[in-house]
Amino acid sequence: MTATSFPDKALATAVRELPDNALAANRQAALARFLERGFPTTRLEDWKYTDLSAVADISQRWLENGAPMPSAAAVDDRIAEIRGAIDIDWIIICNGAIRHGREGFSNAGPSIATFSELAHVPGFDHPLADLNAALLPDGLHIRVGANTTHERPLGLLVVDGADSQPGVTQTRIRIELEEGAQAQFVEYHTSIGDSDHYANSIVELSLAAGAAADYVRIQSRDRNHTQTHRTAIRLEASSTVRYSGFDLGGRLVRNDLDIDIAGKEVAALVGGLYIADDGQHIDNHIRIDHRVGPARSIQEYRGILGGRCRCVWNGKALVQAGADGTDAEQSNHNLLLNDRAEIDAKPELEIYADEVKCSHGTTVGQLDDAALFYLRSRGLDRQAAKRMLTRAFGASIVSRSPIAIAADHLSEMVEQRLSRLTDGDEA
Amino acid sequence: MLEIKDLKASTGDTPILNGLSLSVKAGEVHAIMGPNGSGKSTLAQVIAGHEDYAVTSGSVTYKGQDLLELEPEERAREGIFLGFQYPVEIPGVNNAYLLKAALNAKRRHHGQDEVDAFEFLKLAKEKMALLGMDPKFLNRGVNEGFSGGEKKRNEILQMAMLEPELAILDETDSGLDIDALKAVAQGVNALRSPDRAIVLVTHYQRLLDYVEPDVVHVLSGGKILRSGDKSLALELEEKGYDWVREAATA
Repeated sequence: MTATSFPDKALATAVRELPDNALAANRQAALARFLERGFPTTRLEDWKYTDLSAVADISQRWLENGAPMPSAAAVDDRIAEIRGAIDIDWIIICNGAIRHGREGFSNAGPSIATFSELAHVPGFDHPLADLNAALLPDGLHIRVGANTTHERPLGLLVVDGADSQPGVTQTRIRIELEEGAQAQFVEYHTSIGDSDHYANSIVELSLAAGAAADYVRIQSRDRNHTQTHRTAIRLEASSTVRYSGFDLGGRLVRNDLDIDIAGKEVAALVGGLYIADDGQHIDNHIRIDHRVGPARSIQEYRGILGGRCRCVWNGKALVQAGADGTDAEQSNHNLLLNDRAEIDAKPELEIYADEVKCSHGTTVGQLDDAALFYLRSRGLDRQAAKRMLTRAFGASIVSRSPIAIAADHLSEMVEQRLSRLTDGDEA
Repeated sequence: MLEIKDLKASTGDTPILNGLSLSVKAGEVHAIMGPNGSGKSTLAQVIAGHEDYAVTSGSVTYKGQDLLELEPEERAREGIFLGFQYPVEIPGVNNAYLLKAALNAKRRHHGQDEVDAFEFLKLAKEKMALLGMDPKFLNRGVNEGFSGGEKKRNEILQMAMLEPELAILDETDSGLDIDALKAVAQGVNALRSPDRAIVLVTHYQRLLDYVEPDVVHVLSGGKILRSGDKSLALELEEKGYDWVREAATA
């Protein structure tokens, strides 16, 4: 029994109507599993603060009205805009449909194929992964060969939406870095059209021994978009990942970042910035599983909250028995620009090993009055001073974002987002 | 330029200034000396417009206008500069960025064009050379990780860039080694002009060896007990603050 009911028959029809490719059999099995388990409910500890019943509603309307697509011209404009802002090679995934034509790619990059081409669908155990697998037209599989280095980042552009009807889309990406491979990725989520939308995505990043990946995720969806997004990163010995996530939009957003430390001498440096105001709900769950030591993980997140909104941050470091030499740090700092914003911040350490170094720090606060007065005494008006301090609060995360070519655009987006936020939020 | 009459101010329920009067004319350098807790810093903060201090009576007139009516930023743009006793560290706000924003806020207020990046950099480097500051400080966070002396030099740099008409330096000399003290004094002396007034708030006479004041005031219990020329500072150094207090109550 699940809290959110779902029109099973319509869903089964939607699954049958998907392109008949190598994923078909897998979809049926996933559909059966999803119908059995349903959406996660707020009765689960992990989903206590994030209620997906609105998702079931969007899904129902989508099933009743069929699967719409946004206008091709609007999609092309958006793609051109983002290409102009971040000059890298982009693979486009529009409402789950993958466009990976290699034309226009600057050099021989990673190997790129779809699940249907490979006739292989990697498994993933989670109720939302079942929904994803049931409704997935096709998945994207990227492989970076052993000991190769791709200096030029690869862009993954997820464009979702529709003009007139509610939509539901699934995205699935699997990235493998073979031994000693090095690569950079920018994952960018954007919306098209005015309709309500639910986007559910699964991204897997697997690093073999000695591999290194830099990864930036940017989410700037419209306010009529709901997102559930799960990133699973597996790290083998001596591999390193630097990951930054930026949540600048969306109405209801839930991101899960699961990191599996499966080898010694791993470094996982993850961070993010979320900015929310009226009507937004942004939930970031991070779980780092230290199965082996020595290894190091750092979680560094910040949130800027204005208006009536709610954010959730739950960062967990689990240190398994025997994972000696683990060094796990967590920090989460939140800036609340008024008293209508709400944050549920929960750092968690669960330690079963003996020789470990773990720390966590969480703060929730307002702008510093002494700093505000200092800036005003230099001639900046209150609003400009607030904006400068708010920007400075986010800047430490923006400046540590690991991909240089995306940095300018990211700073600009954060700046634009903050100027709208602070302007509408005069105390 | 600055006329303070019978000023009373308090923080919370605690009165700090108890009927203070002070007149500062353009071209003058005043030193306000006094023991800890005498109200020196409060006076500086009240002139700059800090909201923690409530003015309960009296008046402050600056260039003919009621200063107490103005917001802190308006006071700054009208030419008042407060050098903080404890400059605030603001990580993430670039020093150059703040300097430029402050300079342009003032220029806009006076109907002048904003400075462009090249003009700004040239000006900033010029002023930094005068203060013996490494140009790398421009690209650091405001006062972030600066030593005590670096913070004070940074205050003087801001002052040199903004060219205030009335500069109030709140214990800018405290905690400085002799080189930093000389650099700060040089910055202050460079600003001396017939159009400007400078008020040095200080606990010790030391700075006054390098910046010669026209008038010295002794502040105690929130009032000016005595005013005189620079010899008063030397006398204070010799006899201590109790001497003034005893003389005042006698």
